[in-house]
This record gives sequence, structure tokens and C-alpha cells, in this order.
Amino acid sequence: MLTEKARQLRRDVFTMIHKCGDGHPGAALSITDLITALYFHVMRVDPKNPDWPARDRFILSKGHGCPSYYAALARRGFFPVDWLPTLRKLGSPLQGHPVMKKTPGVDMTTGSLGHGIPIGAGMAAAGRLAKLDYFVYVITGDGELNEGIVWEAVQSAAHMKLGRLIAFVDNNGWQSGGVIKDVSGLKDIAAPFAAFGWHTQEIDGHNFDQILGSIEKAQTETERPSVIVAHTIKGKGIPFTENDNAWHKRVPTQEELAAALNYLGGS
Amino acid sequence: MDKITAMDKIASTREAFIAGLMDVAPNDPKICLVSADSLKAARATPFVEKYPERCFEVGICEQNAVAFSAGLASTGLKPFFNTYAGFITMRACEQVRSFVAYPHLNVKLVGLNGGIYGGEREGVTHMVFEEFGILRSIAGMEIVVPADAGQARKATRALAQREGPAYMRLGSGREPVIFDDSMDFEFGQARVLREYGTDAAIIAIGPILKRAIIAAETLAKEGIKTTLVEVHTLKPLDKDTIAGVLRKTRAAVTLEDHNINGGLGSAVAEVIAEREPATLIRLGLQDVFAESGDAELLFDHFGMGVPHVCDAVRQLLARKRKT
Repeated sequence: MLTEKARQLRRDVFTMIHKCGDGHPGAALSITDLITALYFHVMRVDPKNPDWPARDRFILSKGHGCPSYYAALARRGFFPVDWLPTLRKLGSPLQGHPVMKKTPGVDMTTGSLGHGIPIGAGMAAAGRLAKLDYFVYVITGDGELNEGIVWEAVQSAAHMKLGRLIAFVDNNGWQSGGVIKDVSGLKDIAAPFAAFGWHTQEIDGHNFDQILGSIEKAQTETERPSVIVAHTIKGKGIPFTENDNAWHKRVPTQEELAAALNYLGGS
Repeated sequence: MDKITAMDKIASTREAFIAGLMDVAPNDPKICLVSADSLKAARATPFVEKYPERCFEVGICEQNAVAFSAGLASTGLKPFFNTYAGFITMRACEQVRSFVAYPHLNVKLVGLNGGIYGGEREGVTHMVFEEFGILRSIAGMEIVVPADAGQARKATRALAQREGPAYMRLGSGREPVIFDDSMDFEFGQARVLREYGTDAAIIAIGPILKRAIIAAETLAKEGIKTTLVEVHTLKPLDKDTIAGVLRKTRAAVTLEDHNINGGLGSAVAEVIAEREPATLIRLGLQDVFAESGDAELLFDHFGMGVPHVCDAVRQLLARKRKT
């Protein structure tokens, strides 16, 4: 069921970017399975009451991956599916990067990199103060970890014992300018999190058993915030976009869209 | 008689801020305090002792503190984040703009060491005299600059009642007491403090108001009759009150502990250009960096002394006579 849902979201992503003529397909496709697991299995949310105080929170720290996020919210019922083709157009509730007060279900404005973990820490701390048992999920990119504010927040969230903060790193190995190990030198992602006192796991970010299992495990951590380093493939799910950084920001042609939809089994 | 004191006492705007927070916290459980290792600087002990669960210490990392505050505010809390003003408004400027102001979250930013008067001996890195310009250009950001401790306490209470992002500038903790306790604080209202006459307006913001008051008194003794205006809410600016004064005086001197570019002087110049033509002299830092020193001496050295204000008014009068 999750596999089919993810295929549907990938179809939405490719169609959306084709129709709006702008966007980041590679980054959206590498997180589709994580977002599918969260919104269609894990998260306690109510699409009819998107501001429900006790809901689980989600922050897409790598805001440029938002086509997957928007597709998930639409398919989950937060807003009509026919909003999706309005992405990035004047007057659309679907901005180029997520905006909390324009799009139902978006818990935090993001886009400028590095802010998911610090803002998520604030949400987790607020939940503890309010004695609410919600979890805060964050998806951050791997290249995004270059930002210094990430590590400011990794340190303080551990110190505050924010056990209900669960961050995924979408470890697709690419950043805008090329391969991460060449561009910025980041190697072992889990180790610095562990050094700051986080609970760490490494999984295949496209395997639903591993995704769900790692979340269950992270949820049992009461004091340590959790990071799940998800090994992913940029552009995952469409053969000709996989692991090709040319698709970081590129618009599929009509033919490419047709080929992708054909491969993904639907329209 | 007006509500201006003899101005010979000192009181701390920092302690007043915490006192203001203590005034509102009992009836508003959503009020909390975020610190970037700034609890000591903020004199926050009374709040920390009474409401330990409502204090969030993130360590020395202002960008994180602002983003964390945005996370708190997204759930309905009302965080006050307090540290040195320059670190909030410059180091964490993007977080303020994109994650507090853009989503219009209820985060109150309280900046210590505002101006050269607040930073005084610490030197330029610990002063800030650019933040009015920076914050004025961020949509929806409210900016309040209390003139003294009593006003800081009342401004804190006023901000706690307001929705949305706001910045309040505080000083070193050694600010002159300007007003007596009966002086109110009405958010968003500029006020005419003295109306000797309509030769010129003197418009001032923050603790430096003390010098504007003395200058207006000095000039009055010489027979030069000014209208003295205090602007404590820089944004939204009370353009009507300022325009009303300019209509009568057609000349104004602005006095601020800030670069003359971007702050009160610029804001008044906009009112002059759009509403009421007038001659203007902007007093403040003349687009230079300050340096360490005694707070009062710094003002005199950098052209913000009582004689500077008086000279500026005389110059404007001379220009008036020529036309």
C-alpha cells in the first residue's frame, strides 16, 4: 500500500514540476518514500483540523523538496489535489518553498537551509511544556548539514533532552554543485550527531520496513533526540532521473513526463 | 506640569524588562524566555527562579535561539528572546526575517546594549547602531525603543498583549530616569512632550531623549521656541503626529543613538518627503563607527551632545530666515 502511494506521489511530483515549469525533481524524489511513510502510516494528523494542537509536527528542512510534500498533503486530504498544478504560480497557496500560513498542513515555513532541526527543537520543547505527547519529525538534506545553525541546534536539542524530536537526513550524497564528499567534505553523518548525544540509526531510505522500524525505535527514546540517516538515491523512482544531478533543478519535457508516468504506472 | 523628572537618577532598562515580564507572566502561561547564555546579562534571575520550566537556554548561538523561538511560537507560545541587540538583529537577521517576520510569529526580540550608549566601553562589536534600519525594512516587524526603565517595563507589558513579531531596544542597565511613574506608554503613538513654540521640532528616540529635553530647555531660555517630540515606537511610525508637528514648524532636528542612515532621521525624512515639506538635520552617528568610552562622553564626541542639538536648531532657523 505504501509502495503504491509513493508511486502516486512520484507521478504527482513529476507532473507538477512539468506543469509549473520549475522545481527540484531530484530532491523531491529522494524523500518521497520517507514522506509517504510519515503521512500515510506514522503521523497523528487530522486533515480536517490541520492546526490541531496535539498533532504530530513535520518540518521539511530541505524546503526545495516540497513537491513531494505538497503531493502527500493533497493526497492525504489537507487540500484539493487540483491545487497541485498551481505550484509556484502567482496567487497559488503552493509557494516555491513551503509557507505555513498559505498551505493547510504545513507546520513551518522553510526554504533557507539548516532551519528544520532548530525550529523542530522549539516545537518539541513547547510540546513538553504543554504536556502534549506529539512527535516532531524533520527531514533535512545531507548537503544542508554544511549550515552551522544545524550543529548549534544539534547541541542544544541534546542538552535539553528533546526525545520527541526525530530527524531524518536524506543522504542522497549530492548537493547543488556535485558530490558532497567533493564539494564540502562531509563523510560520516551519524558520528557528529552521536558525539553531541543523539540516538543514531542508518537505514535504506527507500525500504518501508526499515523506515517504519527506525521510527518505532526512535519513538522509544525518551531523552535523546534521534537522527535517522536515510541512504537515498537522488531522483529515486524514475530510471532516467536516478542519481543524475542534472535533475537537481530541471523541468521534464512532455516526452520525459510520459515516459516517467508510463514507468510509474498511471497518470 | 509635565511628567518629566529632574533626570538625575539612574535605573536599569534590563531589570525593568524582567519586571515587566513578571507583571504579565502570572496571568499568561504562554509567556516564556529564550536565552543565548544571556540570562545573566538580562538580569533574568527573578523570572528563572519563578518560572524555570518557561526558560529555554540554548547556549551562545543566536541564530539557533531565534529559530528555536519560532518553533515555540508556532505552537502558540509567546517567547521573548533576549540577548545583545546586535547579535539578534545582525547575526540572526535572516532567522528574524524568514522564520519570525515572514510567518508573522509571536516572537518578541529584546536587544540589550542598544546604541553606543548601551554598548559604551565594550566597543563597536558589542554596540549596534544599524538595527533600526535593518528591522524597519522587514515587513510587519514592530520596533519599540523605550526612553527609560519605567517605559521599558510598560513597553514590555504592551508588547506581551500584541500579536506578531516585535523588537524592543534596551541599554546597558544604567539609563537616566526621564519620566515619572505616571507617564503611560501607548504603543504606536509619538508624543509631544514640550511645546515651547513652533520655531523647529526636536524629535528624539530612546534614552538620548534626555539630551533633547535639555536642549529644548536651553533653547527656550534663549528665546528659541521648539516643539519636542518623543518617538518610542519607530515602527509602525505615528506619521500623523509627526506630520502635524512638521506642518507647524517646517523644520526638524532628529536625535538618535543610531547611524543617521536608516533610523529615526530617515523615517522622519520620509514623512517630510511624502507629507509635510520641512528642513531637516539628522543627528546621530554620521555614518561612522563609534569606539569604546564613557557613555556620556561618547555622545558628546560623536555629535549627539546638547550643544549639537542647539546648533542644529539655530542652523535651521537661519535657513528659515533666508527663505
